[in-house]
Parts: sequence; C-alpha cells; structure tokens
Amino acid sequence: MASHAATADDALYTEVAGQRLLGFLFFLISDCVIFGSFIFVYLYIRNASPVWPPAGVERPGLYLAAVNSIVLFGSGATMHYAMEAIRRANVRRFTAFTVATIILGCMFLSGQAYEYTHLHDTWAGSTFGASFFTLTGMHGFHVFIGVIFLITVLVQTLRGTYTPMRHFGLTAATLYWHFVDVIWVALFFLFYVY
Amino acid sequence: MSVADLGHVRTGHIHPPPDTFVKKYVFSLDHKVIGVQYFITSGLFFVLAGLLAELMRAQLTGPNNHVLSVATYNEAFSVHGSAMVWLVTIPVLTGAFGNLIMPLQIGARDVAFPWLNMVSFWMFPPAGILLFGSFLFGAPQAGWTEYPPISLQMPFGTSMWCMAIFLIGVSSTITGINFLVTIVKMRAPGMTWTRMPLFVWATGVTAFLSFIATANLSAALAGLFIERTFGVPFYDPAKGGSPVLWQHVFWFYSHPAVYIMILPAFGIVSEVLPTFCRRPIFGYKAIAYSSVSIGLLSFMVWAHHMFTSGLQHWEQFAFMALTMLIAIPTGIKIFSWLATMWGAKIHLCSPLLFVLGFLSTFTFGGITGVLLASVPVDIHEHATYFVVAHLHYVLFGGSMFGIFAGLYYWWPKMTGRLLDERLAKLHFWLMFISFNATFLPMHWIGLHGMPRRVATYDPIYASTNLFVSISAFVLGLSFLIFAYNALRSAKQGEVAGPNPWGGRTLEWMISSPAPYYNFDEIPIVLSGPYDYGKPLPYANIKPELATVPTH
Amino acid sequence: MASDGESKRLKDDQGHYLDAGFWRAVWVMAVISVVLMAVVVAYPIDPWFLPEASTTSVDIDKLFKFSMFFSVPILVFVNGFLIYFAIRYRRRPEDPDSAIGSQIHDHRALETWWTVVPAVLMVTLAVLSYFVIPEYYPTGQAAASAVTMEAIGHKFYYEFRYPGLRNSVMNDAHLPIGVPVTMDITSLESSQDVNNEAVIHSFWVPEFRIKQDMVPGMVVPLHFTPRETGTFRIVCTEFCGLGHSHMWGKVIVDSRSDFDKWYADQKRSEQAEAKGVQPISLAPGDAGAGQTTFNAKCVACHKAAPFEQKLVGPGLGNLFHDPSHPNLVTGKPATPANVADIIEHGAHGDMGTMPPMQVNGLSQKDVANLVAYLQTLHK
Ligand code: HEA
Ligand code: HEA
Ligand code: HEC
Ligand code: CUA
Ligand SMILES: [Cu+2]
Repeated sequence: MASHAATADDALYTEVAGQRLLGFLFFLISDCVIFGSFIFVYLYIRNASPVWPPAGVERPGLYLAAVNSIVLFGSGATMHYAMEAIRRANVRRFTAFTVATIILGCMFLSGQAYEYTHLHDTWAGSTFGASFFTLTGMHGFHVFIGVIFLITVLVQTLRGTYTPMRHFGLTAATLYWHFVDVIWVALFFLFYVY
Repeated sequence: MSVADLGHVRTGHIHPPPDTFVKKYVFSLDHKVIGVQYFITSGLFFVLAGLLAELMRAQLTGPNNHVLSVATYNEAFSVHGSAMVWLVTIPVLTGAFGNLIMPLQIGARDVAFPWLNMVSFWMFPPAGILLFGSFLFGAPQAGWTEYPPISLQMPFGTSMWCMAIFLIGVSSTITGINFLVTIVKMRAPGMTWTRMPLFVWATGVTAFLSFIATANLSAALAGLFIERTFGVPFYDPAKGGSPVLWQHVFWFYSHPAVYIMILPAFGIVSEVLPTFCRRPIFGYKAIAYSSVSIGLLSFMVWAHHMFTSGLQHWEQFAFMALTMLIAIPTGIKIFSWLATMWGAKIHLCSPLLFVLGFLSTFTFGGITGVLLASVPVDIHEHATYFVVAHLHYVLFGGSMFGIFAGLYYWWPKMTGRLLDERLAKLHFWLMFISFNATFLPMHWIGLHGMPRRVATYDPIYASTNLFVSISAFVLGLSFLIFAYNALRSAKQGEVAGPNPWGGRTLEWMISSPAPYYNFDEIPIVLSGPYDYGKPLPYANIKPELATVPTH
Repeated sequence: MASDGESKRLKDDQGHYLDAGFWRAVWVMAVISVVLMAVVVAYPIDPWFLPEASTTSVDIDKLFKFSMFFSVPILVFVNGFLIYFAIRYRRRPEDPDSAIGSQIHDHRALETWWTVVPAVLMVTLAVLSYFVIPEYYPTGQAAASAVTMEAIGHKFYYEFRYPGLRNSVMNDAHLPIGVPVTMDITSLESSQDVNNEAVIHSFWVPEFRIKQDMVPGMVVPLHFTPRETGTFRIVCTEFCGLGHSHMWGKVIVDSRSDFDKWYADQKRSEQAEAKGVQPISLAPGDAGAGQTTFNAKCVACHKAAPFEQKLVGPGLGNLFHDPSHPNLVTGKPATPANVADIIEHGAHGDMGTMPPMQVNGLSQKDVANLVAYLQTLHK
C-alpha cells in the first residue's frame, strides 16, 4: 500500500494504538509477575528441601528440552522477520514467516506433550512435579494462546486489516510471542540446567 | 501535532449515548455509570459484612456465649475480613471513586478501555456472590489470610473463597492497567504531571500496585486452589511443601494491598482540604512524590506480618527497618495537610469534618503500626486484639473515613443534589465517637493477652468486651443516618449546581451530574489545580459554571 | 520558583501567621504531652503492662515505653494543631464569599524538619529493637547455658518434653525461676499424624512477652528466663480450628526446690507406671457435679446431642443408649469403664484427637462424675 498523507483519522489511530500498546505492556508485566510468583515458590521449596529433586523423583531429560528450546527460539526469529516484512508492506513474505512461526509453535507443543506423557513424576506426585507441571503447563498454555493469536492476525492480514502504518494487532502478537520465548529461557534454565 | 489538533482528535471518542435501559444502566460503558454501579454493589456488601461484624460482637458480649457456634463465629470473621477488604474498601476506592472522579479530573471523556472497564465491573458481583454463597458450603474459617495447612483441611467453601478472590484479583488487575494507561495517555492538553490533582496521583500509584501486586495474589490463590482440589503440593508440610511459603506470597500481595486501600483515601483528603480551606495545598510535590515512595516501599516490607513465624534474625531486622521507613513519607503527608490548614479560611462542612476525623484516627493507627513494626514489641502483640485495633484504626479510621469524606464531597457531582448538612454532621460525630469507643479499648485487651480470632475468652476481659460490643452497635446505627440522608436527598435534596463547594479541579467545571461526554470541548490546562487567589487555570471552560458558590 | 519580591512577601505572610496565639497553643500541647507521657510511662492509670515475668519482658517493655516518648507527642501535636487551626482559622460570618486563605505553598525548613526528625526517631527505634532480638533467639553462648526442652502444639493442647522424662507433660509446663530456658518450638509432626491434621499453633505467654508460631515441619528455638514465680497463661494465637478459642495452657514457675520436687514426682510416677498400670477407679460419681464439669470443659468439642451432631468430637447425648453406635470410637463397647478410659487417656480417630485428662484438667473424681453424668443422658 502506498504511503498517504497523515489525516486526523491516522492521528486518532496513532493515539489509540499508543494507549493499547501501553496497556498491553502492562498486561505483559503483570503476566510476568504471575510467572515470577510461581518461580519464587519453586525456588523457595527447592531451597528449603534437604535434597533436590526430592527423593525418588527424576528430573526430565535435558535433550528433548534442548531441541524444543531451539524450536521455540527459532520461532522467535521467524516472528521477527514476519514483523519486518509487514513494515515493508510485503504481505507474502509476512505470510510465509508467520506460517513458519505457527508450525514451530505447534512443534514445541507436541514436544512438550511427548515429554509430559513420558515422565514418571506427576503434578500431585512431588514438590518438584508441582512446580514443574504448573510452570511449564502455564507456559505451554501461553504458547497455545500465542498460536491462536497468530492464526487470527494472519487471517486478518490476508483480509487486509493491517497496513504498514496501522498494525497494532501485529505488534501485540509479536510482543506476546517474544514474551513467551523469554519466559521459556527462565524455565529452561530452572528445570533442566540449574 | 499541536495541542489544538489533539483536542480535535479526541472528539473521535464520542459515541452516541446509549438508548436502551440495559446499555445505559447495566452493561454501560460510561465510566460514571460504572462508578455508581461499584458504589451500589459494594455498599450492599458493606452492609452484609458489617452485619457479620455485629453478630461477632454479639457473640463477644460475654465469655462463653452461645449466640453463634464456634464454627459460625470463625466463618463470620473470615468472611467479614475478606469482604471488607476485597468487596468493600478496594472496589470503592479504586472502582468507584477512581472511575467516577479520575477521568473527570484529568479532563478525559472516558477511561482508555471502556469495554474492559465494564468487564472488570461485572467480575465483581459474581465474586461477592461466591464469597457470601460459601456459607452454604461451609464458609472459610481461617481468616482473610487463610493460612495453610488449616485452610487445606476445610470444606468446599474455602475453594469458593479462592475463586471469589481470584475473580476480584483479575478484575482489579484489569482496572489497574486501564487506569494507569488513562492517566499516562489521556490527560487534557497542558496537564503536565505536576498539574495533576493529587487524587489522580494517588489513583495512578494505586493502579500500579493493583496490577503488580494483585497479579501475584492471583498466582498465590491459584496455588492454594489447585492444592486443595488436586492435592498438588505447594504449602502442605506433610508433602514437602511449606506453610510459611504461603505467608510470603500472600503478604507480598497483601501488604501492598493495604496501601491500595489507603492511597486513594490520601488522595481524597488532598482534594477536600484545599477546597474547604480555600487555599493552595501545602507541599504539592512532597505529597505527590511521597505517594510514589510509599508505593515502592510497600513491596519491601511484607514479612512484618511474619515476625513470629520463624524468620531469620537478619530478615526480621531488615523488614523492621524498611517498615519503619514508611512512616517518613506518610508523616510528610500528614504534616503537609496540617500545614494546609495553617492560615486557611476553613469552611467546616461535612466532607472536611470527615477529613479531620481521618487525620486524627489514621495517625493513631499509623503509630500503632510503628509499634507493631518493632520486632520485639510485635513478638508480644502479634495476633492479639492489638493488631485488630491497629487494622481497624487504619482501615476504618483511615480508609472508611476517607471514603465518607469523598462520598459527602462528590455526592452532588454524582447525583446533582446536596445532602443535608445537619444530618451529615450528626453522622460524623456519632461515627467518630463510637468508632473510638469500639476500637480504642481493643489495644488494652490485646496487650493484656487476648488473642484474636476467638469465639470466647478469659472472663477477665468481660467488661471491656461488653463495652466494645455496645459501642459497635452504636457504630452500626450511625450508618442508618447516612442511609436516611441519601434517600432523603434523592427525593428532596437541594439542587447542587455545578460547583457547590467552590472546588477548582476540573470535575467542578461541568454541570452536576456530569453530562454524558463530560466535556463539550476538552479543556486546556494552564497551571496547577489548587491555586486559590489566582484565576482559574483552564483555557476553554465556560466561566458561568466556575463561579464561586455561596456555601 | 518565586521571584524575590514574592518570596519576601511570603515570608511576611508566614511571619504573620506565627503570632503569639500560635506559640501559646504550642506550649499548651507541649505541657499536655509531658503530662501524658508521665502518665503513660511512669504512672500508668491502669496497670496496662502485665507483670514482667521473664527477663526479656523487661527489655521489650522498655522499647514500648521508648516508643511512647515519641508517639504521645506526635499524637498530641497532630490532634492539637488540628483543633487549634480548625478553630482559629474558621471562616467567620463576616467574611465575604470570596475570602481565601494564606498563599503559602511550601516551606523548605519546616519540611526538612518533619522529614529528618521522624527519620532519626525511626533509626533509633530500629537500632534499639535490634539489640533486643538476640534475647529470645539464642546465640551460641546463651544456648549452651540453657535447659533445653521441647514444646509441641496439638489440636488443641500443648505437649512439653523434658530432658530425662520419658512421658510428656500435657498443657502445664513447670519451670524453675532464674534458669535460662531454650524451648524448641514446633507443631505436631505431620509424619506422625494419620489424619494429616498438623496445623500452625502458637506459643504465647503474655507475662513473658514472648511468642512463637508452632509450624509443622519447622523447629524454632526460643530463649527466655523466668524471673517471677507464679502461674501464667499460655495462649494459642494462631488460628488452628474449632478448639482455637480454648487452647490454653499454663506455665508454672516454681522456686528451684519446688521445681526439683515436681520433677522427682514425675520421675517416680513414671517408675510406678512401668511396674504396672493401676485400674481406673470407678467410684460412683455425682451426675450433678459431672454436668458442671461437662459444661466447663467439654462443650467446646461435644454437644449433649445425638452422635451425628459433631462439633470437634461426636455428640455424646446417646453415648450409652445408641443402637446405631453400640461401640465407642475406640471400637470397644459403651461401658462405663471404657468411656472412663477415653476420658482419661484420650482417643485418636477419624474425627480428630480427644485430649487426655491432664489436658482437660480433670481429676480422677471428675472422670467418675462425668461418666455418671453421661449415663443420665437420653437424647
Ligand atoms: C489501610 C490499611 C493499612 C495501613 C495504611 C497500614 C499501615 C501500617 N501498618 Fe498495618 N496492618 C493492616 C492495615 C494497614 N496498615 C492490616 C489489615 C493488618 C493486619 C493483617 C492481619 O493479620 O489480618 C496490619 C498489620 C500490621 C503489622 C503486623 C502485625 C502483626 O500481625 O503482628 C505491622 C507490623 O509491622 C503493621 C505495620 C504498619 C505500619 C508501620 C504502617 C505505616 O504505613 C503507618 C505509617 C503512618 C504513620 C506512622 C502515622 C503518620 C506519621 C506521622 C505523623 C509522622 C511521624 C511518625 C513517627 C515518627 C512514628 N501493620
Ligand atoms: C475496611 C475494613 C473493615 C471495616 C470497615 C470493619 C468494620 C468492623 N469490624 Fe472488622 N475486620 C476487618 C476489616 C474491617 N472491619 C478485617 C480485615 C478483620 C480481620 C479478619 C480476620 O481475622 O481474618 C476484621 C476483624 C474484626 C474483628 C476481630 C475478629 C476476631 O479476630 O475474632 C472484630 C471484632 O470485634 C471486628 C469488628 C468490626 C466492627 C464491629 C465493625 C463495624 O465498624 C461495622 C459497622 C457496619 C455495619 C454494622 C453495617 C452497616 C450498618 C447498617 C446496615 C445499620 C444497621 C445495623 C445495626 C444497627 C447492627 N472486625
Ligand atoms: C479438643 C476437643 C475435645 C475436648 C475438649 C473433649 N473431647 Fe471428647 N472427643 C474429641 C474427639 C475429636 C473425639 C473423637 C475421637 C475419634 O475420632 O476417635 C472425642 C471422643 C469422645 C468420646 C467417645 C465418643 C464415642 O461416641 O465413642 C467421649 C466419651 C468423650 N470424647 C468425652 C469427652 C469428655 C467427657 C470431655 C470433657 C472432659 C471431652 N470429651 C472433651 C474431642 C474432644
Ligand atoms: Cu492452637 Cu490456635
Ligand atoms: Cu503490612
């Protein structure tokens, strides 16, 4: 789409998008606090426990999780390029990268499902399981929501809802996706490495 | 973009007024209607929670009474505390006053996200129904703090409590985000940070606390809920969890929450004082910035509720010192307010009376707070009636007096009619005296060894408790005066006019009740809000609305 | 900021408000503060400080009194100025509608003072408090010199374990005067508890000014030295369930010789018990006296109503006459001897824990009276 002269309508859009962006950032911060709170719970229990993981509990394997992490971080990269594309008004490139992101997101979820079904520990089984399943489950749910979010904005883009000047929905989806990535860095470190 | 352009752009927000009853009064998007909805709903919950308190006082008129069974007594104080905190004080101060007043004071036509605003209101009544409905399923008994393991051993009502408070938490997180965006992005042109009314400052800091601290509460409650429902071990010591952990996560929310419950009241005080003293507020910036520092400090003091639960030595010291720091910014406020009365022209109207009551009782409660902050002293006083006395002095003597000051002050703006001043003054004096008679003696019995949350007590406290209970009944009756006054005003109250008190903030520059769009034209702000003696600081306000009244 | 001319005018303005009346009011408040401080600290009208029965209590009370030295003046001055200004600067009928107050926006010196003075006070209070903390949390040396014992919170009574005694002492702790004690405070260990009913209790002796939560799974050593003989209440301050209101114990501080005598008695009865337990004496009891005891000691947990009407324990109204519950919770038939056994030794089952007779403060005679009373009930 060609650039056009800024109208009062555009100014209104900028103003409203600015409000929404700030609101969305605040939402992400509060979401961070929720994760942070459960991470605090995990660290506290871990710290108070004489042995870790608790006797009889096995930690989930590192390899699957590492592969899964690469998948998720890869999706962060594709999302970044998708956003670049829309700024240059290249809808085809955007579509390609967004579809790639969605596929990577689904791969991550399948990896997680595989891991869940092959673990001995359960949610109610131990203090490790409690935190592990709650936190990674919450994260998985966020990825799931993120995938739905991406599908929605993809459809909207194909319908021409967004323009290089007006794409708050896309900005939000990208931010959300990167946020989910960053949370995973923390979880990966806590549950598989540290 | 020039300022004038912006004013033009904002007209884009205007939608045609709703035409059906449902859109107008039920699922309304108008911040003023939502504000009133909050008032009515939490007013109802206040009566219920207050009546529970009166039942408790009836049980405590003598030792070994059987007015309530022990279990019912426990349910009563748990639901009383939870409802007063989450269904009354927080929704009134943020949802009701924040909605009703804040957008008007910054010269906006609505909040940033009107639809979200409606959604967060509609989470509130179901939360109340869940909380009071829990009586049918065995209401929570372990107090508003619901410490595990005991809260894990209680019937289904406690799960309903979790759900109710979770809903309230989500609602207040959304409201917090909404308000902060509104304040950051939607101030009228020319209203710089230091030209904002102090109530807006307070609401902004409160909004920040709401969406940070309350998100943490949601997490804590989710943990408790899944532990109760699915046996997932977080807090149960039998399964390797830690009961003290809950205390940490709960108080990490609930301490900031007590400032969520007091900062807007501080804001109300800062509005009422200059208006009725007819002079600029003393130390505008000091008051504004002390709200911010109280907000930040409030995240660092939570463990002062846990001095007896086996903290490390150094943790006790650190939390004690940080807690005491809060006395400094709070003191700055108190002293600045006093200095506002210095050399003033004081109109002793009902809102000001409630503010003076606030200053007197809140200072008392704050000082007992400092006594509690000292670890060794708290070791003696913790979980006794001394704490009950402290919390009512700050919550009732602070927040409630603030709420009533605000109600009397903004009632004309809300309804367009005045309340009767003589009844208002009667209400004030009855409430002020019976409040002190109810809660002052609690300090003594607490120091003398009466623990809280008991349905019966050692007979040595009998006479004091009887006195307290009688005062509590009088205190309950004092609210009837307000109820009568409010009903009377609706029928035959004097028409208020736009500015009955001579206020100078923006809400007084428009007619009462405020019109649907709030402002025909968005005002342009040229200087600070309370400069009595200077011309009005607004560029395009209709002058006839801003005339000095005769009250 | 204000221009020179304006700031000069402001100064005059403020000077004008600091007139003789102002200073007179300040003097009045100062005098009231001093009088109140004296009343509160030195001559309490009501003895609002309990007896100081432990060494720690003396220092804690000193801290409290120190706090009064600033709390009282702050309260007097805040309320005093409130009243003084409200009267002095009230709007008078002759004032025109447009009359306004002074134009004082701020005052550097004043604001500095009211920031610095509270800060200094708070730092002082924090430092003074800091030095009292080690008195109840033993550091190495204090711990070494102390008698170490255990206090365990149960639903709804206290259990004390003494070094050298095999049996626990229920609810009434005996302590010698002047001997530093380290008490390891905890709650019923959850691993021992079939019903998974461990909860938080609290150990508070108001006269000692010490309190410690009894948290399951956590042991906290608490340190104190009794300094007065007498009987003092132990109160549970952490909500622990239906019996919380009644969870009271006693600390009996004896002279050294009395304490030794009590300790020797305990030892002797343990030895007697080891030789063979005496059967419960079922001397015929007095139902009337039993009813009084029941209303004083048992109604917290039991109703005189059918079995199903539970409070903490089952209803006892049909104890001896209930075809649907021919057996007691112990599984034994409802005979007077078996009931007396429960009342004497307690019971532990699905419903919870029925405390033994020491906890309920019953004598053998009381047990007999209670059995007699329970036999009279038909509900
Ligand atoms: C509106 C709510 C509110 C507010 C504002 C406060 C304010 C304060 N509170 Fe309070 N508090 C509660 C609500 C509130 N509290 C509740 C509900 C509980 C009980 C929870 C439960 O267990 O159920 C509680 C419990 C509580 C405890 C735990 C007690 C215990 O259970 O053992 C402590 C301990 O430190 C404490 C301290 C303080 C302090 C230091 C302040 C300070 O912010 C006060 C600061 C104000 C002043 C000091 C007065 C004005 C200042 C001056 C005039 C300057 C000069 C003053 C000095 C130099 C001292 N509070
Ligand atoms: C804003 C908060 C708030 C408010 C306003 C109140 C108001 C009152 N509170 Fe509450 N209270 C708490 C917050 C609050 N409380 C909290 C957080 C706790 C801790 C709970 C816990 O331990 O977990 C607590 C605990 C608490 C206790 C301690 C319970 C215990 O530990 O065992 C007591 C005991 O007396 C008490 C009494 C009262 C009374 C008599 C009032 C009165 O002021 C109420 C008066 C109001 C009404 C009566 C309703 C309206 C009036 C009418 C409709 C008129 C007609 C009515 C009559 C004539 C009866 N409260
Ligand atoms: C702290 C609470 C508590 C107190 C106080 C208490 N009881 Fe009990 N009592 C219980 C509980 C709990 C049970 C059930 C125990 C079980 O589940 O096995 C019980 C059971 C009993 C039973 C057996 C009932 C049956 O049907 O088998 C008798 C008899 C009894 N109590 C008598 C008394 C008497 C007499 C007193 C007063 C001196 C008393 N109790 C005080 C809690 C208490
Ligand atoms: Cu034990 Cu309360
Ligand atoms: Cu606090």
